[in-house]
Amino acid sequence: MSRVVALVLLCLVVALFALLRKYRAVVVSNTAFKYSYYPASALLVILAVNFLLVALGADRLFFVQQAVYGLSLGSVYALIALGYTMVYGVIKLINFAHGDIYMVGAYAGYYAVTALNLSFVPALVVAMAVSAVTGVLVERIAYKPLRDSPRITLLITAIGMSLLLENLGQKVFTSTPRTYPSMFTGSYNVFGVSVDLSRIIVFVVTILLMLALQYFVTYTKPGRAMRAVSQDRDAARLMGIDIDRVIAATFAVGSALAGAAGVLVGIVFPQIRPTMGVMPGLKAFVAAVIGGIGIIPGAMLGGMIIGVSENLVTAYISSSWRDAIAFGFLILILLAKPTGILGKHTREKV
Amino acid sequence: MRRHPNQLRGSAIWIAVGAVALVVVNILVATGSLDSYYTSVLGVVGINIILTTSLNLINGITGQLSIGHAGFMAVGAYTAGILSMHFQTPLVVNILAAFAAAAIVGVLIGLPTLRLRGDYLAIATLGFGEIIRVVIQNLKITGGAFGLIGIEWIDNFFYIEIVAIVSVIIIWRIVNSAPGRALVAIREDEIAAETMGINTTAYKVMAFAIGSAFAGVAGALFAHRMAFISPSDFTFLKSIDVLVMVVLGGLGSLTGAIISAVSLSLLPEFLRVIDEWRMVIYPLLLVVVMLFRPQGLLGTKEVHFGAISAALQRLKSLFVKGEEHLEPASDLPAIATREADGVNTDEPILEVRGLSIYFGGLKAVSDLNMTLQRGALHGLIGPNGAGKTTVFNMITGLHPPSEGEILFEGKRIDGKPPHAVTAAGIARTFQNIRLFKDLTVLDNVKTAFHLSTGYGVGSALAYTPSYVAKERWIDSEARRLLEILNLQDRSMELARNLPYGEQRRLEIARALATRPSLLLLDEPAAGMNPQETADLMDLIRRIRDEFDLTILLIEHDMSLVMQLCERITVLDYGMTIFEGTPDEVKRNPRVIEAYLGEEAG
Repeated sequence: MSRVVALVLLCLVVALFALLRKYRAVVVSNTAFKYSYYPASALLVILAVNFLLVALGADRLFFVQQAVYGLSLGSVYALIALGYTMVYGVIKLINFAHGDIYMVGAYAGYYAVTALNLSFVPALVVAMAVSAVTGVLVERIAYKPLRDSPRITLLITAIGMSLLLENLGQKVFTSTPRTYPSMFTGSYNVFGVSVDLSRIIVFVVTILLMLALQYFVTYTKPGRAMRAVSQDRDAARLMGIDIDRVIAATFAVGSALAGAAGVLVGIVFPQIRPTMGVMPGLKAFVAAVIGGIGIIPGAMLGGMIIGVSENLVTAYISSSWRDAIAFGFLILILLAKPTGILGKHTREKV
Repeated sequence: MRRHPNQLRGSAIWIAVGAVALVVVNILVATGSLDSYYTSVLGVVGINIILTTSLNLINGITGQLSIGHAGFMAVGAYTAGILSMHFQTPLVVNILAAFAAAAIVGVLIGLPTLRLRGDYLAIATLGFGEIIRVVIQNLKITGGAFGLIGIEWIDNFFYIEIVAIVSVIIIWRIVNSAPGRALVAIREDEIAAETMGINTTAYKVMAFAIGSAFAGVAGALFAHRMAFISPSDFTFLKSIDVLVMVVLGGLGSLTGAIISAVSLSLLPEFLRVIDEWRMVIYPLLLVVVMLFRPQGLLGTKEVHFGAISAALQRLKSLFVKGEEHLEPASDLPAIATREADGVNTDEPILEVRGLSIYFGGLKAVSDLNMTLQRGALHGLIGPNGAGKTTVFNMITGLHPPSEGEILFEGKRIDGKPPHAVTAAGIARTFQNIRLFKDLTVLDNVKTAFHLSTGYGVGSALAYTPSYVAKERWIDSEARRLLEILNLQDRSMELARNLPYGEQRRLEIARALATRPSLLLLDEPAAGMNPQETADLMDLIRRIRDEFDLTILLIEHDMSLVMQLCERITVLDYGMTIFEGTPDEVKRNPRVIEAYLGEEAG
């Protein structure tokens, strides 16, 4: 590819991105593409940098390769982050056990594939179902009785549930890592960048799940109830909404998405272990905060930012600094705009 | 000294149990009855006590949720480790250095993050805790991921015990002094604390730094006990361990923290019997405790704080006869307004010029002009939403005005933080009462003497005579104020248990304790019956004369306003529609149309 062509393509991508930004309101408000906005933006930004690097004559392959890897990692973070953000929206709880639900999903998927000989899609469904049930159980047993207690009590309970799931996992699944059978091999060559099929699958499945979530939250009755509860629980109750059911549904949906993330991570990074949920859980939570906690598109945005930047840090600096990037971003965001990138400013009434 | 009823329960028992346990343990260790394994476990207990009490200072006493304590422990551990390995410094030096290093890191991290609240603060501390660990993991001097090997090995129960006891005593002294009252006030209601003249940011950072510093001390002990440390010793899980101990003991209870640190450090040793399921039982226990006893295993804070202080009081009265009945030291001035040095009494006490504030696109108050003469009783009235409380918020610094100037005693105060405004001599009450609900009536008022305490953490720690005298003066002045507001019989009641009218009076008492020259009352008669309102009117006149005050009040009770106030400003939609005497206000057609209605005219 000549530099001139690259420059032209760069202009094109920038124009496309500007167009997307200009019609952001339209895209985000009422089309089915609401939650695809951020993945799409991320893709365009990466393409732009790619063409820029080509135009400058620099080594672009490495960058794009890493960035594309970042997108699939970001998809996983985003899927987990959605659960955090939805639960926080509804009951204002940082559900520390959520990362472990993702672990449960990964194991459910693993056994569905290895023991039940299921193929990818049914295994994904099984994993989502098992995670949803686990999530709802955790809510019913540990959180529901404490719904009116101080937030700290609930937070500690969540931490307790997280430790419990992890250690139960150690007992049930043993601490020996399991390895997912490879389901998607092969890779495609796009503009000289080789992209693994598994990573494409991760990205595509994530987008599909986002669209499904978008439909659920926007157009269905339980979705509407969920939004109502997250705005004002008491008012929603007075409107005849069954709060318990809505909260359970929120946990079910959020946990199912985490379960899906567990399977998706298994096809890219096949080793799974009972403690696999701790770090991704924390980082996904950070992603939710960066995007603006309680805001669903924010979780997407935060997940993509963390996924891509983590991969770039690993590639350009050192993998030992990788864990600092999410938390570094977190601090910057919190200090600059504590309610997150998409969050709204609130003021305490005196 | 009288105590809240809760505070007396079980005092002697706790002290006795603690003392006996300590003596027994020391004898056992000294005589070698415990083998080295158990002595070593006791070392862990000591370290955990320091970690727990120090985190409790931040989370329980000050109410700032921090979940990154392991990071500060790591700073201390590595400071001590590096000193020990490269400079062969003795343990004492290492501990002090760890204290200082962790304190400095605590201030550096606390300054930016403590602006955040609740969950956001928790996440930020979590983030910093992780970043500290990653940084340590990537530095050469800290040995990277492998850590430090070959730190001088000191696993001596007595050293750890002494350091733990000293740490606990220091934290306990801080909590039970005026700075400690300020910290509790911040936990109870940050905005109210700020208007009591407490520089909440400074105090939060102080608490955070002290808590971090002691975590650093614990880290130093840990490093020497292990002789080998690596970044994986200080993960998020370590922070959670400490947090769990604090919460199980009861947030805000130092003795609770100690007891839970002891039990939770020993519990795993007993659970070793069923070792295989230990890690499952531990979190299960945590969840069960939260479900059935969310306030912590050992209940509320009063039991324990009161216990120690009451026992000490009793101990003191055994040795120092009659001291309890001393009159307030005569060289300290009785409560009065500030000296009016160089203040021109003819000049208006408060002058507001062109004051405006915007909330987004909404102009909540626009171009307000108001002048208050010294000693005036001025009313601010208007329909709901007219911007009256917003005016108070701007004067007291809670909402910086978008435009305009506020002059108090001839000096600009707009843009100053609320605590500085209070220090200048303006006090207020709140429309939606903001008392420190879980403190006693007396403690509410004592907290408000913050600005006149005049002693530092140092003299509180050393228990100097000036500290004792000052505390006694504050106590007697607070009681005098309660008497003036006819609340003396309620002094040991929790503020939340008072009826509405009394809560409003307590807010006035608390405001007076900051020794203001201008008092802002926001709907003082709201929720009062006619008799109470009549009493309130007398009270307001009385305190104005007695304390030489200027009073600006917001009120919807027109009979009160018209009888009490000498001048009235009427607001509507953020604009001044009239200012004048009550009679002029009653006759003004615009006021009648906007607010009073025909009948009142």
